[in-house]
Amino acid sequence: MNRRLWIANLTAALVVAGLLGALFNAVFGALATHTDWSRAWEYRGMLWQGWLTTLSIASAALVCGMIIGLLFMLGQRSNLVVVRWCCRGILEFLRDTPLLVHLLFGYFVILAPLLARPLGAAGWNDKPIIGVLILSLFHGAYLGEILRGAVESIPRTQWDSARAVGFDRIQVYRHVIIPQALRRVLPAIAGSFVSLIKDSSLLNVIGVTEFFYNTRNFITGTYAGLEGYVPLAIGYLVLTLPVAWLAHWLERRFRHET
Amino acid sequence: MKLEVDQLVKRYGGTTALDSLTLRVADARVLALIGPSGGGKSTLLRVLGGLETPDSGTVMVNSRPLPAGEVGLIPYRRRNGFLFQQFNLFPHLTALENIALPLEKAHGLDRGAARDTASAALGRFGLSSHAHKLPAQLSGGQQQRVGIARAVAHQPEVLFLDEPTSALDPEMTAEVLELVQELAEAGQHIVLSTHEMGFAREVADEVAFIADGRVAEHAPPARFFNEPASPDSSRFLSRVMRW
Repeated sequence: MNRRLWIANLTAALVVAGLLGALFNAVFGALATHTDWSRAWEYRGMLWQGWLTTLSIASAALVCGMIIGLLFMLGQRSNLVVVRWCCRGILEFLRDTPLLVHLLFGYFVILAPLLARPLGAAGWNDKPIIGVLILSLFHGAYLGEILRGAVESIPRTQWDSARAVGFDRIQVYRHVIIPQALRRVLPAIAGSFVSLIKDSSLLNVIGVTEFFYNTRNFITGTYAGLEGYVPLAIGYLVLTLPVAWLAHWLERRFRHET
Repeated sequence: MKLEVDQLVKRYGGTTALDSLTLRVADARVLALIGPSGGGKSTLLRVLGGLETPDSGTVMVNSRPLPAGEVGLIPYRRRNGFLFQQFNLFPHLTALENIALPLEKAHGLDRGAARDTASAALGRFGLSSHAHKLPAQLSGGQQQRVGIARAVAHQPEVLFLDEPTSALDPEMTAEVLELVQELAEAGQHIVLSTHEMGFAREVADEVAFIADGRVAEHAPPARFFNEPASPDSSRFLSRVMRW
């Protein structure tokens, strides 16, 4: 980088920092009189519990969503036209209707009346289980479509050569197609995982005591403002940023392979 | 190697790639398929290699009928070797893994034995120093040689080569053809399609000229190249030999 460009960059950085600083100072300064961070500290146990619940819900939905996505992808590539069309239909329905409606309708109208009693009798809390199920289905539909595109982008010669070396159908997918397909769609999959983590906050509508639900309880209970929402934002960023970074890292690592 | 191909038909949509093709080879080590592009050479090789199922007709390789159906063809493919025109190594695996993975997963060798066999195959073709490189780090000729090493690592009954040098420059072509010749001299049974007439003449025991989905002529190379019997093959030869 030459000297003039360096000076220009430095000046731009100072100007941006100054402007943002002034803006934050004005906004937070005006709000500071109402902000009491000790309240957030008092509620730390509840917020921490909520954050852990969000982490487990998101992790479970991530794994289930990936499995469902793989099944949707395989279903759409089935030799049986009925299977292909069914998968396509379900997938379109899931992708083209709002998650909020899936949660409300799926939980209160369909799944809770069917499953709440047996799950309760077995000592399980039905809300997070059904919530994870619905979230997994929704994201599985997106992943299914991402994976199908990736698998179809693998050239025909790779399928041929995988068959030629004697792999059976499962081995062709397992050792040749999926590893290459995954490398191609890592950024898209990571993006989908980030959405999944954020979408898990919607589970509050069916009463799952996750991070947003607990934070909202804290806010409504104490009339908190910044001291409620700032930890909320940080809590979600702690979950989503590593996923985004990991995706960038993997993408760089695999870029020169193909 | 004995081949009996009878009334073979293969259609893709509206086009007929193989049109009642019949070919009998009593005993040959190397069979070369030559002829114009789009004449059916590749399709015949893909059927013989078990990658394509014919619409009708019968194929016997070494007096055994070609298995029907995808599941039956898997053991057949494992018994033989196939190499394509475009380098078709798996891009996410190193040269060594490209050879070792099929040995382990398709042929049931344990991991160590698969890697040893793969190393030996690379060593045999002077590729040991490239064992841990990815295909993208190899030249076209090196990739195709690794492809051959992969196709012969399990000592196939028959090796099928579909225009193995068509995507290579002349120097790399020579590099790959020399290797194929070495294999043939070591007794490997080979069926290959090629546009390298000099190679077919030198190495093949028999030559089949394929055009319009049929065998137009089938003879030992000396006779085929010196006195082609059919007008199609003499026209083809006079054109390809001209330059």
